[in-house]
Amino acid sequence: MAEPVKERKLEKIRILGDLERGLDEVDKKLARGNTDIEFDFSACPFISVDGLEWLEEFLLRADSLKSTVTFVNVQNPVYKVFKVAHIDSLMRACGAPNQESQGLSC
Amino acid sequence: MTVSSDQELMLTERANHLVRQARLAAAVFTQYSQEKVDKIVRAMTAAAIENAGKMALLAHQETRMGVTEDKILKNLVASEFLYHQIKDKRTVGITREFPDLNMVEVAEPMGVIFALAPVTNPTSTVIFKSICCAKTRNTVIFSAHLMAAESSNFAAKIMYEAALEAGAPKGFITWVDKSSRLRRTSELLMHHPEVDLIFATGGQAMVKAAYSSGKPALGVGPGNTPVYVHKSANVASAAMDIIISKTFDNGTECPSEQTLVIDREISDEIIAEFKRLGCHVCSQEEVQKISALIVDPRNGGINYKLVGQPANLIADQAGLNITTPIKMLLCPLLGELRHHPLAIEKLMPVLGYVIVDSVNEGINKALDINYAGGTGHTAGIFCEDDNVIERYSEAINAGRIIVNSPASIGGLGGVYNHLNTTLSFGCGTGGGNITTDNVGIKNLINFKRVPRRRNYVISFQTTKNIYINPGSIDHLRNLKCQSAFIITSRSASRRGHLAMVTERLPQDCHVDVFADMGPEPDFATLQRVVESMRRSKPDTVIALGGGSVLDAAKIIRLFYDYPDLKISEVAVNFLDFHHRMIEFPKDMKTQLVAIPTTSGTGSEVTPFAVLKDGHRKISLIDECMLPDIAIIDANLTRSLPADITGDTAFDALTHALEALVSTFSSDYTDGLALEALRLIFESLPETLKNPNSIVHRHKLHNAATLAGMAIANASVGVNHALAHALGARFDIPHGRANAAFLLSTIEYNAQIPSKFVSVPCYPLWIADRKYARAAQFIGLKDDLQPGESEEIGRRRLVQKLRQAIYDLAKLANQALSVAELGIPLESYMAAIPELTETAFGDMSIRTNPRYALAPEVAQLFATAYPPRERPSI
Repeated sequence: MAEPVKERKLEKIRILGDLERGLDEVDKKLARGNTDIEFDFSACPFISVDGLEWLEEFLLRADSLKSTVTFVNVQNPVYKVFKVAHIDSLMRACGAPNQESQGLSC
Repeated sequence: MTVSSDQELMLTERANHLVRQARLAAAVFTQYSQEKVDKIVRAMTAAAIENAGKMALLAHQETRMGVTEDKILKNLVASEFLYHQIKDKRTVGITREFPDLNMVEVAEPMGVIFALAPVTNPTSTVIFKSICCAKTRNTVIFSAHLMAAESSNFAAKIMYEAALEAGAPKGFITWVDKSSRLRRTSELLMHHPEVDLIFATGGQAMVKAAYSSGKPALGVGPGNTPVYVHKSANVASAAMDIIISKTFDNGTECPSEQTLVIDREISDEIIAEFKRLGCHVCSQEEVQKISALIVDPRNGGINYKLVGQPANLIADQAGLNITTPIKMLLCPLLGELRHHPLAIEKLMPVLGYVIVDSVNEGINKALDINYAGGTGHTAGIFCEDDNVIERYSEAINAGRIIVNSPASIGGLGGVYNHLNTTLSFGCGTGGGNITTDNVGIKNLINFKRVPRRRNYVISFQTTKNIYINPGSIDHLRNLKCQSAFIITSRSASRRGHLAMVTERLPQDCHVDVFADMGPEPDFATLQRVVESMRRSKPDTVIALGGGSVLDAAKIIRLFYDYPDLKISEVAVNFLDFHHRMIEFPKDMKTQLVAIPTTSGTGSEVTPFAVLKDGHRKISLIDECMLPDIAIIDANLTRSLPADITGDTAFDALTHALEALVSTFSSDYTDGLALEALRLIFESLPETLKNPNSIVHRHKLHNAATLAGMAIANASVGVNHALAHALGARFDIPHGRANAAFLLSTIEYNAQIPSKFVSVPCYPLWIADRKYARAAQFIGLKDDLQPGESEEIGRRRLVQKLRQAIYDLAKLANQALSVAELGIPLESYMAAIPELTETAFGDMSIRTNPRYALAPEVAQLFATAYPPRERPSI
């Protein structure tokens, strides 16, 4: 007999203030499985190197757990950090296609 | 897997790790405010000052080069002096504002910088580059010289810890650890795709490798500093400065003196002073011994084992018998300087010198040294004569020419002068670099320019004194004038106008007349008139006639007042009046009175003059061409035949319509153009019906002047370009040529352009609205039907305007097509390519509201041929 399919849950996480380190609560939610995560960056004005590294690692873990992670309401300074960091997974979470196109240089 | 590929993999992983740290830090750094950045810079500077001695000692112990005390000084210059220069500089957000240009500069960090540190300055370079990177929000990966890696990396660690403590992003400074694979790791980093810039200070091999990486690179070039000691120099002070400089860190500083060029008059005195202060002046035999020691005979380069070594050690190794402590070795370079082995960069306390007999010889000898491997780097001069300093600076190719100070410490900047403090000397193209700057923070920022749209200032000019109303010619009675030169046409003379003028001029006024000005004269004709004016020496020119006469008089006055002007130099086309390359005289010496006898040209109030030049017309345009006085007396038009009345009225009508839609139109010119239009539609039919009606002639005369004022400030458009070309090619009077194209060009300009005109003063294409407004202004109406858009209404109004023009032309017996002008179809069609080229080059086209492409111009010519029917709605 087939196992009943569990309903996927969408967790909306609003990051309040600077993202300076990992968020344990969110790590736990992801670990529980069957959860998609939406990070709301509307109240996040700054991200540190540790915060950036945690996000990248979090996305890796989510990928292995087949969870979808999306970033919404990313403010300009933080979005610029994602752009300059050249980390594909961060951009994908922001809704970008897999790889940035190689535009012509002139 | 082989051992070597294991190693390569390990090195690649190490390089990737370093770059990843730097990349993340660079990303995070973009968020930092100026205040946060300045706090970090301050902390790093304090740490560098505190550890200056420790770092210098370690550098000296590791490299065995230079002098510890001097290395301390270098560390302090790279921190304290640098800080003093940059602390108040803005490097985040808006860095500079240019209110006059309506522009600001905004800083963008460069990103990840891979920086090399040389063996000669292993700690000061790291201090300098770290602080510069912090100030500019860049991250930096250091790669030291293998012989100095411990001290360089120690300096990097001190700077990083201080920065981190003050809030810098983790990984902001990293470095390649000392190992036998350091060079390979550096190569990997140089080519790493995540490195944005290579900041290469070091040996030429590394600099060359940096440039070859294909990445943006800030490099340095080799030095070979000539220093000219002119006879005007303060000898004692010069000698001391040179010793300070050349012995600084035992000569390891690349801007330091390499060869002195000394004027003979002071040579004995300065050599004696050098000796007195503890330098050894070598004999020729000793020079040969030193050459043999310090120059590698295989390649002519220096023996690097002796870089930064003390003078006594070099003397000992060269076999010189010197028992007392000496500061430096002075070597007279006799014979052909360009072939002398010591005429090279010697990064040790060995200094060459030559003696010269003149400034000319001195500068040439300095050039010999400058171009012997040191172009673009540094030069020095000791001199109190500003002219000599200027000659020297003009001749020598060096990024920094240090005056009356030690070249080495002077080159560092900030101590003896106001050069930017640096440990990286840009050498320009002479040294294979992109800049001659003392490289610093400004070279580490991507400056983003944010120009706001220009505030385009349009001025309004017209003739200063305009006398209007019938009878206004009487003003001539009060004209301040002792000698008048009247330029007119035969017809004006025949119609009695010349007598009307001469009778009214003051009794004591001497009068000469040129009464043979034909239509559209060439420049040779005008020159002949100028010659006759020179004989009569008038203080006033009176232009009496139609457009050709008035235009001719403007040019004649210009060349009479300024005989050295050349027509080819003032008739140059331009795109924008504000930027044109030609310059006209500011003031005219001779008064110009313009009395139009036709109602069309408006030349009495315009700064233009059109001149026929073969099969084209050229325009002279400048405020100085404006007449001083215009007399608008309709009595002079009373006897104008109907055909000329119609031709000239249609010229004025074209002026009004083209000025109205011009890209340079303004509220001022719009008012004039619309009123001119209304007056023409009102008074031309009445004038044609009753040619002797002075009331209507007066209105028509005023309309022409008002339209003239409008084009004087808004210019004309494509219609005039077409008419000029046609008129010149087929000898068609200007007004008639204008009328032939008018219906086509209105239709053309009222369509959404295939290409918009790019001028800042025309932010919105509104030609169709302007034509619709013109239609309404002359009383044409259109009622929108329910559901119709305003655009449809506008289109109908434009068509109604074209209908009204068609009707007016029929009334005035005006040709509205080229065929009606009597030009044969075959010759016209054959001429279209030439006409198109001429029209396209005509300045009138520049202010047309639609960018007229060449095929469109050709099409306008072609469609203007067949006789027209009344436009339908």
